[in-house]
Amino acid sequence: MALVTGGASGIGAAVVEALAGRGFVVGCLDLSPTLGGPDYSVAVDVSDPAAVDVAVSEMRDRLGPISAVVTSAGYYEMAPVAEISPDAWRRMLRVHLGGLVNVARATLPDLVELRGALVAVASELAVGGGDGDAHYAAAKGAILGFVRSLAAEVAGHGVRVNCVAPGPTDTPLLAADSPWRADDYLTTLPLRRLATPREVARCVEYLVCDATFSVGEVVNVNSGAVI
Amino acid sequence: MSTNLDGRVALVTGAAQGMGAAHARRLAAAGATVAVNDIRDSAELTALADEIGGRTAVGDVSDPAECVRIVADVVQAAGRLDVLVANHAYMTMAPLLDHDDADWWKVVDTNLSGTFYLVQAVLPHMRNAGAGRIVVVSSEWGITGWPEATAYAASKAGLISLVKTLGRELAPERIIVNAVAPGVTDTPQLQVDADAAGVELEAIHRHYASSIPLGRIGLPDEVAAAVELLADFDVEAVVGQVISCNGGSTRSRA
Repeated sequence: MALVTGGASGIGAAVVEALAGRGFVVGCLDLSPTLGGPDYSVAVDVSDPAAVDVAVSEMRDRLGPISAVVTSAGYYEMAPVAEISPDAWRRMLRVHLGGLVNVARATLPDLVELRGALVAVASELAVGGGDGDAHYAAAKGAILGFVRSLAAEVAGHGVRVNCVAPGPTDTPLLAADSPWRADDYLTTLPLRRLATPREVARCVEYLVCDATFSVGEVVNVNSGAVI
Repeated sequence: MSTNLDGRVALVTGAAQGMGAAHARRLAAAGATVAVNDIRDSAELTALADEIGGRTAVGDVSDPAECVRIVADVVQAAGRLDVLVANHAYMTMAPLLDHDDADWWKVVDTNLSGTFYLVQAVLPHMRNAGAGRIVVVSSEWGITGWPEATAYAASKAGLISLVKTLGRELAPERIIVNAVAPGVTDTPQLQVDADAAGVELEAIHRHYASSIPLGRIGLPDEVAAAVELLADFDVEAVVGQVISCNGGSTRSRA
């Protein structure tokens, strides 16, 4: 059984489809679950550790022990650093880093038992940073440090922890008027276009199913934005 | 969504044994017609080509004219060339001042220059097709360096920079270039290491495994899985990247 956070839309939804295609029963944690797609969904805010424990427990009861986890829940906003309020900063860290830590804690016993795999969705901005991206990049960068450390901690138990770092991807997170969609930006990308959720999901699928000798690895899916 | 290479033609260099053979099997299983190269013809190479329904493409890739000939032969026989997996390698180790100059350059000219010549040879064909995939097999030592492996590490690090540059240069043409960096992998090379150290193969395996967080060395097919991902024509957005398959050894050393 695979558990996907943020699986109702964007990259998460593509991951749900990809893992189902590889034979997984897929459960989904999302703030606003949608019908269809996953085999079972629980509405939860992944930044709330107690609520995540309850949701994961409900998921196990329904679908069985968890052998794969993908943490894709997140949101994107830009702001100059002076305008990032303490609440905005805290929320960014709690959802992205907290959403990973809370779900990792709740699922690790199963992952150890089943010698499973966890894949976190970070961001190209975690690697390269960006103007107006201080809180988002800091939260996603923290994911890289967490993933590499947890990977080293649990590799001896046969659990593989890895990461994808998508560049700007054509999802609902990216507003229609986002600067990442502007031609001026796209022409700076070696591939000249945004990544697609399917491409990111294919890399997640690789890390979950096929990358049996990779741990603490970051696969960059970014149209060449950061090389 | 598994990789579908039906109708595609791939060339894998250094494919007589070890990782190259695994890459060839994996791409063939995904549907590609695979030409397997090695520096000399052998029963192993022919048997592999027969097994996967491919063909042999023998030649020394450190010679630019040979690269052009090898690639032309493949294209003439198979009609096209979509995927290059540059897996060939030559390795010798010695303290810097003891490393024979000609041999030092043979390592670099085989691993780094050979890949450069191959890319030059395949490009016209990939441009004709309007797309291509180039997967370069680098090495963990190209990232970390290694004592007494100056030539090998330099060649493999050079390959990473070549990949990053060609990734940028060729992506606008939908020719996607990436690298795989294997750690210690269970190939015939380990027997060479064991013989050099005067110990049993098993002892070498244990020695390497003890410094790998996953607690074991890798298998050729585990590296081939990364090659398959990077040869997937449904994935374009991975550009100029290096995917490590090393059991975590570059992240922490136990």
